[in-house]
Amino acid sequence: MRDRDRGVVTRRAVLRAWFGPPALGAVLYGAISLPLGVLDLGCVCLVLPVTAVPAVRSRLRPPGSACPGAPLTDGLSALATGHRWLAARLLGAWVTAPPAPARPLTIRPARPPDTRPPGPLAWARLARAADPAAPWRTVLYLLLKLPLAVVMFWVWAPCWAWAAVLISFPAWWRALPPWLDSDLWRQPHRGPLRLGALPLDVWPNCLLVTAAGVLLLLAAPWVNRVVLVDGLLVRALLGRSEKDRLRESRALAVDGSTAALRRIERDLHDGAQAQLVALAMKLGMAREELTAGARDEALTLIEAAHGDAKQALVELRDLARGIHPAALDDGLALALETLAARSAIPVELRVDLPERPAPAIETIAYFGAAELLANAAKHSGARRVTLTVRPVGPNRLCLAAADDGTGGARTDGGGLAGLIDRVRTVEGRVFVDSPAGGPTVVRVELPVRP
Amino acid sequence: MRVVVAEDSALLRDGLVHLLTRRGHRVLAAVPDADALLAAVAADPPEIAVVDIRLPPTRTHEGLMAAMTLRREHPEVAVLLLSQYVETRYARHLLSGPCEGVGYLLKDRVADVSDFIDALSRVAAGGTVLDPEVVSQLMGASRRAGPLETLTTREREVLELMAQGRSNGAIAAGLVLSQASVEKHISAIFGKLGLPPSGTDHRRVLAVLRYLESQE
Repeated sequence: MRDRDRGVVTRRAVLRAWFGPPALGAVLYGAISLPLGVLDLGCVCLVLPVTAVPAVRSRLRPPGSACPGAPLTDGLSALATGHRWLAARLLGAWVTAPPAPARPLTIRPARPPDTRPPGPLAWARLARAADPAAPWRTVLYLLLKLPLAVVMFWVWAPCWAWAAVLISFPAWWRALPPWLDSDLWRQPHRGPLRLGALPLDVWPNCLLVTAAGVLLLLAAPWVNRVVLVDGLLVRALLGRSEKDRLRESRALAVDGSTAALRRIERDLHDGAQAQLVALAMKLGMAREELTAGARDEALTLIEAAHGDAKQALVELRDLARGIHPAALDDGLALALETLAARSAIPVELRVDLPERPAPAIETIAYFGAAELLANAAKHSGARRVTLTVRPVGPNRLCLAAADDGTGGARTDGGGLAGLIDRVRTVEGRVFVDSPAGGPTVVRVELPVRP
Repeated sequence: MRVVVAEDSALLRDGLVHLLTRRGHRVLAAVPDADALLAAVAADPPEIAVVDIRLPPTRTHEGLMAAMTLRREHPEVAVLLLSQYVETRYARHLLSGPCEGVGYLLKDRVADVSDFIDALSRVAAGGTVLDPEVVSQLMGASRRAGPLETLTTREREVLELMAQGRSNGAIAAGLVLSQASVEKHISAIFGKLGLPPSGTDHRRVLAVLRYLESQE
């Protein structure tokens, strides 16, 4: 699983970062950074001012559109997408795109499309109307790319170059004319090449230089990792900003609560309401039987109605617990004890919380634990589960569930995805380590106060 | 009476079957979804079909759609729709087609067994039955309008019962009036609201409903 920008990290991704494709990717990225940087600078310096010319812009604008310069932001976001793709494929830095700029909200009645050529201030208005930062952050990145590529080039290119030079030393040192010597070593010509007292232009010794070259070659991929700095820049400038993240987590929270309300309505409709209608029906029939004098039929109906009433109580109690378990009022530890006692498989519970978290966090932790225990019981065939809650660092707690089942937990759908979404609404993180066949460990980190 | 029941909650389905059987009606089929309903009616047409509006798979308004299909393909089969909630637009939709032998009731009415059986008989006989809750919502919405305020309290009560699909005799019995005074009230109502006098009960319901909706 890749190390995506979702707050979900797996052990395998960490292992793979040390070997294999990332090294090759870094080399490739470094190689194309320089030409790309030139291209980006060209785009910014030539295309942008050209599109600022009103005549060009009015021709570029699609007929009837109210947003001048829309093709411009499209071009910028296309460039940004390209850079993000390169960073993802070659550097392994998966950066989520910022949300598309929202259309400017018109509260006043729509005016007819503006057919005047947009003036110089239209740029500023465009930036304010759309998501304010995104196009400008992209332009900043495009401007910075070339200087950064040049700086990085002077770090990694000499490494490779010197490695090639040193390794091939035995092949060409004889061809070195004497005066080139002194230029290379920046010392007055001292006769044959030497390393201190060791002459290098003698057959066995020149292999030392080759060895040095080989060492340099081995180190070169690591030096090439300096291009990861570009990946950081991509994440900072072309990824989501803090505001985007907050907006997204707010949307998640609202959607989550809407979905929860819909579930409650459906549970009430199909469960308790149906039971109460059946109950009322049976009591109505019982009354008629009684007035008609048929005692036995009335008794049967009343017994059935009694059963319906008790069933309705059970359903309502379960529903209430699904909305807010009463035990949570007394603290997370007590609620988790009740949860552990009701679980189908034996649960070893260890709760160590010096202070009570905020109620919202307790609720998320409780339902998260319920989800994890249910998954362990339903899918993994585990025989025991260990549930621990302990503080990690200031203002953070960690809820961990470890089971000895068959693993293979999936985070892309179902309850675990819902848990991840809920945790993200409070800026928490979920770590899932569930190799197929092996034990599953899920850690949920939450702030103590959101 | 021969009845087909379509209801997805097994508890309610069995309850309805039990209730109908005890009252001497014959339940030809009790089905859990709309397709089974249409198949059952096609196989052995009943006199009336009792249909829940919310049926699988999406549980939104499959029952309503099936009822409209039934009205088109088997016009001799009356349809009584049951719903957990009052949705005036469902009532409107239902009454947009031919509305002899059409009814819309809340499931709560099932608790009053005699009233339910009475409504069932009226719909099977070709009348139109609307839940009092639907009618009062419509009337409450149009209270803002002018002409309804010109009605006296008595006339408004008569109007409500008329909109529920009651006959003159039933209105007289319900309000403890003589049939003659009920008829007088009705013609006064029609006069004040500017509606043409209509003959049969269900046409009356239609006229009143259309009037009430236009006032919303």
